[in-house]
Amino acid sequence: MTWQTFAFLIVGGFAALISGKRFHTLYLLMKAKKGTAPKFGEVARRIQTTLVNVLGQKAVLESPVIGVAHTAIFWGFLIISLGTVEQFCMTLWDTASFEFIGHPLYSLFIQSQDLFTALVLIGVIVAAVRRLIFRPKHLGQSMDANIVLLFTGGLMISIFMMNAFHSLTHPWFADDYFISKHIADGIGHFGFDEGESHGLFTLFKWIHMCLVLGFGMYIPGSKHLHLVAAGPNTYLRHLDREKGMKMINFEDETLTQYGVGKINDMSWKDALDLYSCTECGRCQSLCPAWNTDKPLSPKNLIIDLKKNLHANKEAMLAKKEEEITPVIDTHVTEDVIWACTSCRACEIACPVFIEHTDKIYDIRRNLVMMESKFPTEVQAVFKNMETNGTPWAFSPGERANWAQGLDVKTVAEAGSAQDLDVLLWVGCAGAYDERNKSVVKSFVSILNKAGVKFAILGTEETCTGDAARRIGNEYLYQTLAKANIETLNRYNVKRIVTACPHCFNTIKNEYKDMGGEYEVFHHSQYVGKLISEGKIKPTKSIDETVTFHDSCYLGRWNNVYAQPRAVLQSIPKVNLVEMKQHHDQGLCCGAGGGRMWMEEHIGKRINVTRSEQAIETKATTVATACPFCITMISDGMKTKDMADKIKVRDIVEIIDEAT
Amino acid sequence: MNLYVCIKQVPDTETKIKLNGDSSGIDAAGIKWIMSPYDEFAVEEALRVKEKNAGSTVTVVTAGPDRVVDTLRTALAMGADNAIHIELPESADSTMAAKAIAATLKKEAQIDLIYFGKEAIDDGASQVPQRVAAHLGLPSVTVVVGIEYSGTTLKCKREIEGGSYEMVEVTAPAVIATSKGLNEPRYATLPNIMKAKKKEVKAVKLADIGVSAADQKIKTKNLQLPPPKQAGKKIEGDAAAQAKALVAALHNDAKVV
Ligand code: SF4
Ligand code: SF4
Repeated sequence: MTWQTFAFLIVGGFAALISGKRFHTLYLLMKAKKGTAPKFGEVARRIQTTLVNVLGQKAVLESPVIGVAHTAIFWGFLIISLGTVEQFCMTLWDTASFEFIGHPLYSLFIQSQDLFTALVLIGVIVAAVRRLIFRPKHLGQSMDANIVLLFTGGLMISIFMMNAFHSLTHPWFADDYFISKHIADGIGHFGFDEGESHGLFTLFKWIHMCLVLGFGMYIPGSKHLHLVAAGPNTYLRHLDREKGMKMINFEDETLTQYGVGKINDMSWKDALDLYSCTECGRCQSLCPAWNTDKPLSPKNLIIDLKKNLHANKEAMLAKKEEEITPVIDTHVTEDVIWACTSCRACEIACPVFIEHTDKIYDIRRNLVMMESKFPTEVQAVFKNMETNGTPWAFSPGERANWAQGLDVKTVAEAGSAQDLDVLLWVGCAGAYDERNKSVVKSFVSILNKAGVKFAILGTEETCTGDAARRIGNEYLYQTLAKANIETLNRYNVKRIVTACPHCFNTIKNEYKDMGGEYEVFHHSQYVGKLISEGKIKPTKSIDETVTFHDSCYLGRWNNVYAQPRAVLQSIPKVNLVEMKQHHDQGLCCGAGGGRMWMEEHIGKRINVTRSEQAIETKATTVATACPFCITMISDGMKTKDMADKIKVRDIVEIIDEAT
Repeated sequence: MNLYVCIKQVPDTETKIKLNGDSSGIDAAGIKWIMSPYDEFAVEEALRVKEKNAGSTVTVVTAGPDRVVDTLRTALAMGADNAIHIELPESADSTMAAKAIAATLKKEAQIDLIYFGKEAIDDGASQVPQRVAAHLGLPSVTVVVGIEYSGTTLKCKREIEGGSYEMVEVTAPAVIATSKGLNEPRYATLPNIMKAKKKEVKAVKLADIGVSAADQKIKTKNLQLPPPKQAGKKIEGDAAAQAKALVAALHNDAKVV
């Protein structure tokens, strides 16, 4: 034991106390959350995803340059931490080195320290150059990030200096310090004697240790909390691509508050999400709202919610409910919350699997169901859904009018769903909207050509409730869903096909929580199946350059990217081209999340922005697979004066023409 | 303040009206019922007055068959405190409805203001508010699109013919018939919807208020749907020829000139 033992006990103990307390507060804040977190089964898959994404850095590497730099820093930290542990041990007890592992291994250990120190330093330089010189827009300027880069750079430099002096006093290790020995060579010119070298080694060791301890105290309040939180958050991530919104049990009479009005209404998992954010801005750079000058940035939303959590720390821990301030404040405004199209680009891009849409939905639920606050134009939509079972102002009695004169039976006429191949779910757009009626008619024509036995529910169908749910009116959603599930189950329906990705997503991923389990196809999948089974043959050529616009609820929410493209490519002469944003990076048409039913007052119109991307491809046809997309892109083309030059058609209209 | 709102349940605006078997009325089967939209302004107005005047209560009143209780619940969910259901037959006319409502209100201890929608969108008769006012000996102001309250004085802005307005001052107690533009009716919050399900609705029988079938003055015998819309005709030719053809069509086919 030396003076260092005592010094370290005092300094280390102090630092451990401070950071321990700060982490403990974070833990208590998680515990003070009232909302229910999802269940976390499937341990094997969770371990796998953690290995792949934490150790393997898969999600981080989606951005190549910074991904590699981050991987170097991440692995460097893991390896160098081993050296730091040894350093702490030896400071406490000077013979407690790791040399007991034997010569070749210990050599390797030292070499690895040197190697990874260099890699981290390079990583830090890349990150600093990017942050301070290239300044990508989505990153923003962050003092916190600069401090952390300084910390990390300082740590690495202190390690190199420490190792260099160590190799001077311990020349038998010099070969293992294969990088720092070159620094030692340089230092050699100053002619330090052994005592001085040893003293300087101790100095740099203490600089290093103090930086480590300082870092430990700093991170709980920094974006670098992700060092600790992102691992668990990855383990607890939503595992599947498909995701249903969480249910509220309205039968539960103890529930007096719905959605999130205050930050403690969220669940502990939401808090962990907030702790995990690295402020990388990947979510923001793909957000259709942000990119068209709306006040919503998913990154800022997460940062602001985290600030709200910290601002309400005292009140939450003291359980002073009335002192906790609302989540809607000067940063997270109502406009922020209503700007979201629920396109999910943010979640898919997030390297630490933060779920932004859940938080937005929860806040909407509170605004709608508790406060009755929402864009005024939505009230008529809710009322239409309540009385007529459709967001449009049409009578439920007219729901099947589109099928007049066509050979389309209702399930009631067919007797039962048992003898049917599939039930055609028409959806409100297909039933009432002129443009989309013709899409459904084309689909019916294809089904008839293929000899598919199908039927519709006719006037017994009602709105799936998707828009109500995403706007935050869970109560209305459940009323509508219950009626539909009751009808579908009464007819014993097993298989459903629909031309609407919103209906598709809701019936497939959300009705099962209310007792509706069906095999559900989107029409692109069904038509793909008919083509591969040879039941329809697209033999007529269509000599057009076609670009396919991904619907969010087909692509990002259900991973259906390949089938609609394959369907288009099965047509002779079709030349399929991609827009600059497609697949997971595709740009929303602007209508999801109930935005179809709201005015777009702020910024540039999303549909126009998307239409411009389509125009850039020089395509002559934009193919869509969603009633909202077709409406939005058609409008966008009109705004751009391109409506007579570029056709906007659903894929089934194109296939119907080709068969 | 004791605020009363008289509302009516009507078929939803999107309903395709069908007649019943003997054409004495409409076929109620399959109809989605709503609160008459003008009545929503009345409920909203009463709720706003209540919110500004602590200790006030809002009581909603409707008359009709059992199904109209749903509409009372809609008003309760918006925030009304009490509800009264007068059990009136489906066929009742404005005379009978007004008499029943007035007789019911007369039994209330104190009334400061009575709000109505300016008309119900089913028969569009615009009769009941004024009739009730007459029965109760109260002043009535109709088609109100703006109100300034000061004490018991109400300055009402009425919409009159030709897109003009007139200002009318009235002293409470009074009957106010509201129109579009007065306010934006609220959407009920869920806790209020839940509470409304459990609130008691007071039932009033016609016999209790001295109203009988004899009070119905109008009986519908033969209701007819409007003839289906004819396709438009396009008159071709130059201006002179078009004018000639138009006059001929108006004279010979439509028989209006
Ligand atoms: S879901 Fe889409 S619109 Fe909403 S915050 Fe995320 S990226 Fe932006
Ligand atoms: S939420 Fe995710 S993607 Fe967005 S800034 Fe934070 S870590 Fe990056």
